[in-house]
Amino acid sequence: MNKTNPKIMPVMMAPRARATDPIRLKAWHGAALAAFVVLVSIPAFAQADGARDSVFTALARWMPLLLKGFIFNVVISISAMAIGTLAGAALGLGQISLSSWVRKTSWFVTQFFRNAPWLVLLFFAMFLLPFELRIGGIIIPLPDYLKAIIGLSLPVMANVSEIVRGAVVSLPSGQWEAAESLAFTRTQVLWRIILPQCVKRMLPPWMNLYSILTMATVLASIVGVSEVMTLTGQVLAAEGGRTDLLLPIYSTVLLMFFIYCYPIARLTLRLEKKFAVKT
Amino acid sequence: MINKFLKGLTTAVALGAFAFAAVPAQADVLDDIKERGVLRVGVKADYKPYGFRDTSGAIIGIEPDLAQDVADKLGVAVEFIPVVSSNRMQFLEQGKVDLMIATMTDKPDRRKVVSIVDPNYYSSGTNILAAKSFGFTAWEDLRGKPVCGIQGAFYNKKTGRDFGANIVAFKGTAEAYAALQAGNCVGFVYDDSSIIASLAQPQWSDYEMPLPTIDDAPWGLAVKLGEEGFNTLMSEMIVEWHKSGRILELETKWGVENTPFATAMNAKYQ
Amino acid sequence: MEAIYEWFRLLYDNTGINLPFIYDSYDRGRMISGFFMTVKLSVLCLVLSVIIGMAGAWLQNSPLKWTRRIVNGYIQLFRNTPPLVQLYFFYFAIGTMLPKVTNDWGGQEPILGGFAWAVISLSFFAGAYNVEIFRSGLEAVPDSTVEAAEALGFSRFHIYKDITLPLAIRVALPALNNNLVNLVKTTTLAYAIAVPEMLYEANQIWSDNVNVTEMMVFMLLVYFVLVGVLVWGMNRWERALKIPGFGA
Repeated sequence: MNKTNPKIMPVMMAPRARATDPIRLKAWHGAALAAFVVLVSIPAFAQADGARDSVFTALARWMPLLLKGFIFNVVISISAMAIGTLAGAALGLGQISLSSWVRKTSWFVTQFFRNAPWLVLLFFAMFLLPFELRIGGIIIPLPDYLKAIIGLSLPVMANVSEIVRGAVVSLPSGQWEAAESLAFTRTQVLWRIILPQCVKRMLPPWMNLYSILTMATVLASIVGVSEVMTLTGQVLAAEGGRTDLLLPIYSTVLLMFFIYCYPIARLTLRLEKKFAVKT
Repeated sequence: MINKFLKGLTTAVALGAFAFAAVPAQADVLDDIKERGVLRVGVKADYKPYGFRDTSGAIIGIEPDLAQDVADKLGVAVEFIPVVSSNRMQFLEQGKVDLMIATMTDKPDRRKVVSIVDPNYYSSGTNILAAKSFGFTAWEDLRGKPVCGIQGAFYNKKTGRDFGANIVAFKGTAEAYAALQAGNCVGFVYDDSSIIASLAQPQWSDYEMPLPTIDDAPWGLAVKLGEEGFNTLMSEMIVEWHKSGRILELETKWGVENTPFATAMNAKYQ
Repeated sequence: MEAIYEWFRLLYDNTGINLPFIYDSYDRGRMISGFFMTVKLSVLCLVLSVIIGMAGAWLQNSPLKWTRRIVNGYIQLFRNTPPLVQLYFFYFAIGTMLPKVTNDWGGQEPILGGFAWAVISLSFFAGAYNVEIFRSGLEAVPDSTVEAAEALGFSRFHIYKDITLPLAIRVALPALNNNLVNLVKTTTLAYAIAVPEMLYEANQIWSDNVNVTEMMVFMLLVYFVLVGVLVWGMNRWERALKIPGFGA
């Protein structure tokens, strides 16, 4: 985006710092965070007396359960992303449809789900979907993690729809005209010329969205799905309200998410840079 | 005139709403459970010792033990579904759980929504856990002060509305206990039975349960509205629990002092 | 007024559509205070997060290596962890470690309550995104503009405050717009630490009345109105700031 004018006269300049590269951060950040967790646990460790065990032992005892909970978060995020992407792609194509009725409906649905708070949508899915669906003679059960997936995939769908629309619109209209002059049908233009070029443009925002979704999976705790935050609360209850556990346990949860999301963020940025040069 | 108009409008809306109203299924849930081979029970998972998690993640406690008895009687496996106060009745209504044993107080307005089984299986009242230094003696002392609570508990409204306390409600007990210890609120309004269990622990030695217990109310276990067969079966089970002293036995097993209610019920059915 | 309240009570008796926050004065009071709490929370967080974004973008260009590192560390930490966990972390973990003050009734209470922590936590969360948004806006300012200012002897701070930032804001507005809409929606999280905002009050009401459906529909409508007002305001601002030939 830097626009330098080559015609400008070179002038003496004070040394100016370059805009820093936000992906400069290295793995030491994770290490620093881990060190932080250990550090804050030390005073608590020192306090530990005979009656109750140290923070470390308590944390180690519950670690397998918390990790199991976190894996559940990852499963929820991947499933919601898959459903949301499929539905969102269809909705996004609907937004550029030639039929004004389809276009308007898709636009409305997109805006509706984009502007509602995620938590409210999640409550909606949780309390208003039936626990099982009867289609003909077949009964499809809807356990609450499935409802959470549906609830989270709604905003994902709306955001993917916008990403698709934005990518298609961002291509120069000359592409369409050139293809039409070569007698491609609209479907052919879309599938063979436009969309393949869009994939590159859509990938970084799509990955960004996945990162946001992963972080939103903890919202499922508020509606009672047994993911990592719910389990954290229950672990604290089982330990009988120990305040010395609060800091280490919440730091652990933060760390889990950071370790998972940070590499994704780095990859996204790298892709963004790589594709930015070519287009 | 205006009344007539209002009535007419109401009828119109009523007709509209009727179109959306679901027709409740009339199938007997007992047959479903036996066919499925699994009894799904909604229990608390953050309410030590009535329902909480062990390190493997399994839910244990007094209520899960009671649920296990029911499953044994029906000859099926049991599945525990963790519920919280703000969603337990919805789960039962939706049929996500067949039976709810989740520390729920038996209230007339709740009987309109779910089918609460008679007789009651347990009982507790409402009290607060507060630091001794405050020296509270009456509920009115709470006026204008922040009091922690649990979202979805019925006594929040009463504590807030009648005694003027400023209710700070959290999702689970862990958050509420933490907020109380941090001093974010002056007390924690909760079930007296659970407060007594907490006070036995060393970290609560500077705290007390100072107020007269109010709303001493029985707990109701519940099935879905209209499940008469299951309700009758559960009613027989509860009588059996009281008669055999099963409730007293479980209280001892999980480290709770025998409550007056459980003792009285045991004597009554002898 | 009374006739309207009465009609909603009649509506409940006849149809089961229960809207107690209209006919019940206690619930109505809760709902109204919840609404204003949401507005207050949103406005405070909006202002603070924009200030954090501007300050962060300035510090990111600092000649000091460690200043840049700290700002980048802050951004990565807040962007890659869930805001809900951040909120819990601040309120329960950091909040209990801070010094306490004596309150009106002789108790020791943490120096910062739930509302303060919600404002801090959500502002820093949205602020992390705002820094990046302002940075990309700054990058769009032509180097020649900055060079011209340097030649005229402006200090680094003056260039930022009077020349690059005003131009960057114009470029950054659409992205900022989006992030601020997200922030308003994210204020619902304050519910988890018992800040009595709208969703919290709605939850209290549906717990007492078992009317989840009605409350949920109402919540959605109110948030649409709030977001709509914000988008409208931001669009007006965008138009007011428009400079011919600059920005999209």
